[in-house]
Amino acid sequence: MSTRAEFLTRIRAQLARTPALFPAAPSLRPARPQEIADTIRRELSERWPAALERFQRELERVGGVLHRVASVHDVPAVVGRLARERGVHGVITWAPSALGFDPAAGLAAQNLTTHAMPVDVPDAERGRALRETIATTSLGLTGVDAVLAETGTMILRSGPGRPRSTSLLPATHVAVFDRTALVESLAQVGVLLEAWHASDAPEASGAAINFITGPSRTADIELTLTRGVHGPKEVHAIFVERPIRE
Amino acid sequence: MSTHEGELATPFRDRAGRALQDGFLQQALTIATTRFIDLRREAFGEFPEGDALRDRARAIKEATLQRLDHYLERLVDNVERLGGHVHFATTPADARRIILDIAKRTGTRMAVKSKSMATEEIHLNEALEAAGVTPVETDLGEYIIQLAHERPSHIIAPAIHKTKGQVADLFAKELNRPNVPADPEALTAIARVELREKFLQADMGITGANFAVADTGTVVLVTNEGNGRMVTTLPRVHVAVMGVEKVVPSMTDLAVFLAILAKSATGQKLSVYTTLVRGPRKAGELEGPDEFHLVLLDDGRIDQIGGTLREALYCLRCGACLNVCPVYRSIGGHAYGHTYPGPIGILLTAMLNGSGSVRDLAHASSLCGACADACPVRIDIPRMLIELRKEVDEKKIAPAGERLVFALFAWLLRHPRLFRLAAPLARLGQRPFARGGRIQRLPLFFGEWTRTRDLPAVAPRTFSERWAELEREVRR
Repeated sequence: MSTRAEFLTRIRAQLARTPALFPAAPSLRPARPQEIADTIRRELSERWPAALERFQRELERVGGVLHRVASVHDVPAVVGRLARERGVHGVITWAPSALGFDPAAGLAAQNLTTHAMPVDVPDAERGRALRETIATTSLGLTGVDAVLAETGTMILRSGPGRPRSTSLLPATHVAVFDRTALVESLAQVGVLLEAWHASDAPEASGAAINFITGPSRTADIELTLTRGVHGPKEVHAIFVERPIRE
Repeated sequence: MSTHEGELATPFRDRAGRALQDGFLQQALTIATTRFIDLRREAFGEFPEGDALRDRARAIKEATLQRLDHYLERLVDNVERLGGHVHFATTPADARRIILDIAKRTGTRMAVKSKSMATEEIHLNEALEAAGVTPVETDLGEYIIQLAHERPSHIIAPAIHKTKGQVADLFAKELNRPNVPADPEALTAIARVELREKFLQADMGITGANFAVADTGTVVLVTNEGNGRMVTTLPRVHVAVMGVEKVVPSMTDLAVFLAILAKSATGQKLSVYTTLVRGPRKAGELEGPDEFHLVLLDDGRIDQIGGTLREALYCLRCGACLNVCPVYRSIGGHAYGHTYPGPIGILLTAMLNGSGSVRDLAHASSLCGACADACPVRIDIPRMLIELRKEVDEKKIAPAGERLVFALFAWLLRHPRLFRLAAPLARLGQRPFARGGRIQRLPLFFGEWTRTRDLPAVAPRTFSERWAELEREVRR
């Protein structure tokens, strides 16, 4: 078995033999990524309709569906319709604090049983029950931390009240976002990622960040495109016109 | 041990010959590689900044290697700060022992795996099985291959050599399911049900890593099916195995690679899931592993930082060079006989097992350069293949007959008079064999050359003979 010191010694010996094939430097990291992220957001407060249009086009290309509603109060009706069409009676959701709104009453009015994810870690027994619920519920409702127009991608951070499986185990994933989540390019996502890692906000504390670009897919059998191999078979994004946290 | 003893018992040319006779394989290869080429071209066609980003990505890879000690230290420190454990494996045996120890200590009985070339490279599954741990491959293609007890034949589409009918028969037999239809949709649905159960039961999740970000201690996994997310979310232990060269400095650098990786591999703008994992589950989190382990693998890589194959350490494992390679397109992945097939696979095989292991494979390339054109980080694969050929020659490990013929030929080329004299002699000698300017079959050990390719016949008048004639005419 080797140690860190052995690895480093051998690497340094090799670097002494061949320091460089050509002059090269890594990317310049933004010194104050949050400031640049804020600037990007400010600029997009004007340009967002074009970004949303691009996002819709790219999302549809990968087999996702975009819905547009006026405010968060209209979200339960969309979820209710999707559930009825699929014969689903229960929905798991991020915690209201993570979503930015509480859909429970609205979903109850749609005759849906709502299981909101806790912000505290439950004891072992309750944890097992919760996992069983997550594993057997066919619809998951989440928020989104960033929406990348260029590729039709939604980016979700894990953390308290925002478990990773809500967007993974159910056959249908529904995500709610507003204009403040939109970014245009992967380069801008790079800035966001730098900013998130420099931040000590609670939603930046989770262990996983997931980029989701449409429904789960495979082409492993004779290159035939098939959806829903492990993750959700359907991905729905609900765009809320009036910003969620207002 | 990273060779496939069974397959390597037969010489490369026989393995290649068998592949060329396999009608279905030929058809499957043509369809798959052509499709991948078209999708890749389309993706970059819509992405004008792609070319500049490829240069950027190449520069980042080189810059990272130039300070690999620094970035690795940073990565290790950050993973440990986040509560993860880092292990150092010089050989595949080291890596296997590390993982088996973790499995034993954590009471692991079943491990779910997301597709990883690094764990193929260290032959992890056999070792787990021998230790009483059931490894379950969860990428659909890998799952099929595992049920069939085979090896992947393409870096990103491991089961392209199988028909849906073969997969249906396999599922019926191995999963004890009656009436399995030969329909990709239905077969995928069966795999979903079978594997969902495993994800929920497994104690350990094992993954590779497409990248690891030094700045943040993040391991990055790119998948389409969602199995990478499952195995890092549900089991209580997560082990990631990665080559030391996979580290990238920052999140800003990561964004550059994400912009080109999927486009090169499958022609997608991004793969469906890009998963960034930082250590074990954090306080207040409902899910994620209790333990996170990162196994850093050397296996010949470190020695090439200052070696002839350094550039091969830039490789992202996208498979683009396989799809465009006329040799890969003709023989497929299995004929190469090692974990990594295709043009880059020859270099990686030499890196892992020494240049002696690619005595034949170093020649399994027409040096046409299509691989270097397709490579997202512009690895000059042909240049290194030539280096390898030179090394193979210098080590005198090429067959004696071949070396003798080339030595004679080289000697002849250094003696112009004799060379000119040789032309009429050769014309005389080739008379029984040459047809229409080509020699299709030669006797004795010369026949090795013409077994798989034609030799152009010596021309009725060689260039130097015509030149001499011209000179005479001009003087007149």
